[in-house]
Amino acid sequence: MLARIREWIETRWPLSPLVRLAIEEEIPGGAKFAYSLGSAVLIVFALQAVSGIMQLFFYVPTTDHAYNSLSYLRTRVPFGWLIHGLHYWGAQLMIILVLLHIARVFLWGAYKKPRELTWLAGFALFLITMGFSFTGGPLHWDQRGYWVGEVSTSIAGTVPIAGDFTKRLLRGGEEMGQLALSRLFTVHTAVLPAVLLILFGIHITAMRRFGSVGPWVEEKRKPGGPFWPDQVFKDAITGTTVSLLLIALAVFLPPGYSGMADPLDVSYIPKPEWNFLFLYQSLKYFPGHLEPVGTVGIPTVLALFFILLPFLDRNPERNPLKRPFVMLCAVVLAVVVVAVSVVGYMSPGFARAPAEAVGSSSTTGLAPAVVIGNAMMARSSEAAGPLSGDAVSASPQSTFSNLRHSSPESGQGEPGLAAHIVGSAERGAELFRKNCSPCHGPEGVTKVPNQGSAEGKVPDLNPIDRELFSTDAQTFAEKIDPFIQHGSVPPGSHPAIRMPVFGDNNALTQQEIANLEAHILHLNGVDRAQIVEPGMRPRSFFLLAVVVYAVIILILGGLWNKRSRLKE
Amino acid sequence: MNEPRHEAIDPASPERRGFLVLVIGVLASLNALIMGIPFVRSLFGAARQRKAKWSKVGEVNSLPENGPVELKFRLLTEDAYHYEEALYSVWVIKYATDKVTVFSPICPHLGCHFIWDPKISRFACPCHASVYSIDGKVLYGPAPRSLDTLPAKIENGTLYVQWERFKPGTPEKITV
Repeated sequence: MLARIREWIETRWPLSPLVRLAIEEEIPGGAKFAYSLGSAVLIVFALQAVSGIMQLFFYVPTTDHAYNSLSYLRTRVPFGWLIHGLHYWGAQLMIILVLLHIARVFLWGAYKKPRELTWLAGFALFLITMGFSFTGGPLHWDQRGYWVGEVSTSIAGTVPIAGDFTKRLLRGGEEMGQLALSRLFTVHTAVLPAVLLILFGIHITAMRRFGSVGPWVEEKRKPGGPFWPDQVFKDAITGTTVSLLLIALAVFLPPGYSGMADPLDVSYIPKPEWNFLFLYQSLKYFPGHLEPVGTVGIPTVLALFFILLPFLDRNPERNPLKRPFVMLCAVVLAVVVVAVSVVGYMSPGFARAPAEAVGSSSTTGLAPAVVIGNAMMARSSEAAGPLSGDAVSASPQSTFSNLRHSSPESGQGEPGLAAHIVGSAERGAELFRKNCSPCHGPEGVTKVPNQGSAEGKVPDLNPIDRELFSTDAQTFAEKIDPFIQHGSVPPGSHPAIRMPVFGDNNALTQQEIANLEAHILHLNGVDRAQIVEPGMRPRSFFLLAVVVYAVIILILGGLWNKRSRLKE
Repeated sequence: MNEPRHEAIDPASPERRGFLVLVIGVLASLNALIMGIPFVRSLFGAARQRKAKWSKVGEVNSLPENGPVELKFRLLTEDAYHYEEALYSVWVIKYATDKVTVFSPICPHLGCHFIWDPKISRFACPCHASVYSIDGKVLYGPAPRSLDTLPAKIENGTLYVQWERFKPGTPEKITV
């Protein structure tokens, strides 16, 4: 039956030739794990495509909901944590594997005639990979992604002549806003995948045309081994290792939360992804009028090195020991790139944006009011209102205005938008120190007296009133949010200190309030980013995966032994 | 993974080849399943346990006693990652200052909004012509069950309602 179906297809479609093209190849010197790197890239790409499509079921590329839709995926969709974790770590691993693959091909001299086109298509694929990385980060629309996107598109803007044009093309306008997000999203999910598939087709067919280069030492080239199943067997083992590694990373090192993108928060010091650190850091060495050397010059020289390599290095010798010059060039290049990247990694960030020097209208603006309140009586909300109000009205922040409830004497009002944003506890700690510590004490443990209040002192936030506490992060945030949004008057005859308003008057942005809440939850032992619907607890899932793999591998091993014995 | 017995087996033997193909198939399937099953699972979503939330609907004293009245109220609704205030309505029938019945405005047949027809003193659904008595019993039409009541309470003369939705088209009232 199967044979007949096959026959039927065969007469209508070139099944056999295509299968042969895909798997029939004699590898000089036989299969090797070193040759698995290309396959590993392909496997991770397949995973990126699938996990990327999975994310599309939940993610929306809008500035007001991108961050929340991603948080929703990660905390409230069963196995959403796995989907996003795999995509995030897959992206990092992808770049490492691509670089290793390039290094392997370089070492083997596989770029030489007649394989130049394979090399060129491969280099183009590397650029596409970097493009994925560049456009993927800002899609989180968190602080990190937003600011990295802001700065990197600005860098593109400094390029002479074409700069302004390029920046507008990337952003869809002057601002890093909705059009920029839509654009990055479309490029990431539609344009780059399409280009990648075309380039991959060229790369793989060009590669098959001449096959693997094999060892450079002539004696080692015989006997050869088949690609199928020998090399694919090794690729399958590599792929399995990569899969388990990615699952482990998603389980044990979930990507952090840097808080929802906040265009008003200039205290955030952005740093690019590690794979762009070299370009980022090298910019710093070219001040002022020499900047184009960094923005255009260095990347162009690097690209030219890769593009021209197979044409300049025409010596057919492939043994690395017998081509010292080109090896030296490569080693120097690698060392410089790694060293500059490390320096970039260690550097504190952009010199122009230290939090203290520039100051944030939204974060530092309120501190004096609180200090005064501490001394005598809390200033009413107007204290900080005008200060930050102007800045706010002209910003994307105004999208939040539709859900603001004013409820003057409160703690009683409705929670605002911040209650539904998964904030960053780390960023919140900083805000807490500036805005809350003067009254609530560092770490939320207070000794500050409050005369005339029923309690006689400012309430502790750590541990917080049991009425407000909840082990469910969302509920907890909803309970404390009204106090921060609308302020509150503590019970008592005539309390000297009142809780000031932070939300209604835009003294803090909703993003900042969300971060504060994450920190307050953290002080009380609750993770704001807790996974509500895991599908399966990450660690249990990892354990299950390891056990399943182990059992299957043992069974396969047993089968092999049994066959071997029968043979004897 | 196993003891080296390779010397016993010719690298090109069909046994070895067959075994490699088996391993490739098993590992590929395993990798696809270990991630594929969770991926598919994610699409089915989670069974949500909604938190019961009381919405203030109105003052009981101001309600008429001579028939059902439609009351509207605002509620922060949760639709995945969208949190928006929306206007909801319920049908309230006051029997005494401490006794009211609250009906969901959604017809249990197929989810249309029914109306109160004062001429015949009955609830009627314009979509498929189900007709209900004032206490919610089905009088005519395709409706599979009585009108759905909503949890309600009166505190200090204020009426609070818990908004819920029910599966349409089933004889039993099932909360969704």
